[in-house]
Amino acid sequence: MYQTKKTYITPTSKMLDLINDNHSLLLLLQHFNIDFAVSNATVKELCSKNNVSLNVFLLVGNLYNDFYPEKVESFKVEEVKSLLTFLKNSHAFYIEDKYPELNFYLQKIKDGLSTNDFKLIEKFFNDYYSEVLDHFKYEDEIVFPYFCSLINNSSIPTTAISVEEYRNHHTDIETKLTDLKNLFLKHISIKNELSAKRKFLNSLFELEFDLTIHSIIEEKILIPLVEKIESERNG
Amino acid sequence: MDKERKNIVIIEPSPIVFEGISASIAKRENGYSFFWLENIDEISILQQQKRISIILINPAIIQNRLQEFVKVKNQFPEIYWIGILYSFFDSHILNTLNDTFSITDSISIVIKKINKICKDSTSKLNYNEDLSKREIDVLKLLAKGFSNKEIADKLNISIHTVMSHRKNIMDKTGIRSLPGLTIFAVTKKIITLE
Repeated sequence: MYQTKKTYITPTSKMLDLINDNHSLLLLLQHFNIDFAVSNATVKELCSKNNVSLNVFLLVGNLYNDFYPEKVESFKVEEVKSLLTFLKNSHAFYIEDKYPELNFYLQKIKDGLSTNDFKLIEKFFNDYYSEVLDHFKYEDEIVFPYFCSLINNSSIPTTAISVEEYRNHHTDIETKLTDLKNLFLKHISIKNELSAKRKFLNSLFELEFDLTIHSIIEEKILIPLVEKIESERNG
Repeated sequence: MDKERKNIVIIEPSPIVFEGISASIAKRENGYSFFWLENIDEISILQQQKRISIILINPAIIQNRLQEFVKVKNQFPEIYWIGILYSFFDSHILNTLNDTFSITDSISIVIKKINKICKDSTSKLNYNEDLSKREIDVLKLLAKGFSNKEIADKLNISIHTVMSHRKNIMDKTGIRSLPGLTIFAVTKKIITLE
């Protein structure tokens, strides 16, 4: 993404200016269910209109603008709901939007490769994505419900999550994505399908960018929050 | 992300000066990424995610916050600080920096200073990407699904040597997963699939 100026998002920033500085913020809006017709609204106005926690929006938005939070304050229950909405919508985006898109461009590249090479790449891609899907399923079915029950103060569920297992998942997903990128950028040349290949790579970069932020949120924000609540309960 | 790139931060109120310096350097030298900050507070946030090698700073920004600046500087001893001078500054301010250049200097002088600081690590950029014969032997067996131990036995080398070859293969190809390496080996015709 061409970006030399890093804009730190504050409550009074105009959303329109922010989008013009970094259009990947459109994805941020989508993940928060906010329409792109932002008019003249400031971040604060936009959040209150759409029932999104301002604190969560600032934190995640600044990750999109490449600012890493120095320390993460604890969130209120209401705020955590915004965070979970964001994460769940991201999952839907990876599954319903990204996967078909990548698959579409991959099929277009087919003719530029030998049948064998293509089959291997297609298998790698499908294996990769089924791993990603498994991970999301694990989060949707185990991690998020566990988290919800924690913040809602209901009875402690029987399945506890393993933080270590959770982190390994992420590393694996990131490694394979980088491999896929490097295969196309360093090693596999494809005849005549430059345009499809570029679109495939563009889409891959967008996925990588979004997944990186997704992992940061889960590892640096969600997990520490879970651990904090757990230790408060037990202590 | 290209880990060999050096990150240079320019702390300077004027966007024109930032654009001017970064574009003039980028036109002549590869391997540097530029970031623009307006004050020193944001350094610690940026440093957490990008390793900053050099900061070019307008001393006007720190002249009234010298104590604060020294604190930030001590916090990140690995960063090299170069002042951008376009007017006179007292020597006690300039002494807190590692080096300076004047806005009237030619860009080649500035590049020389920057290259000198980054020289050691940038020379690593030109490593040979071709796999050695032995690495290809290891890759062939890896792609066929043999374990480190089996490869060591087959090639009559120690497991340690296999692992070191494996690491070199990953570094050179940029591919870290086993299925990824198999695709590499097939498309490069190092192995064929039955």
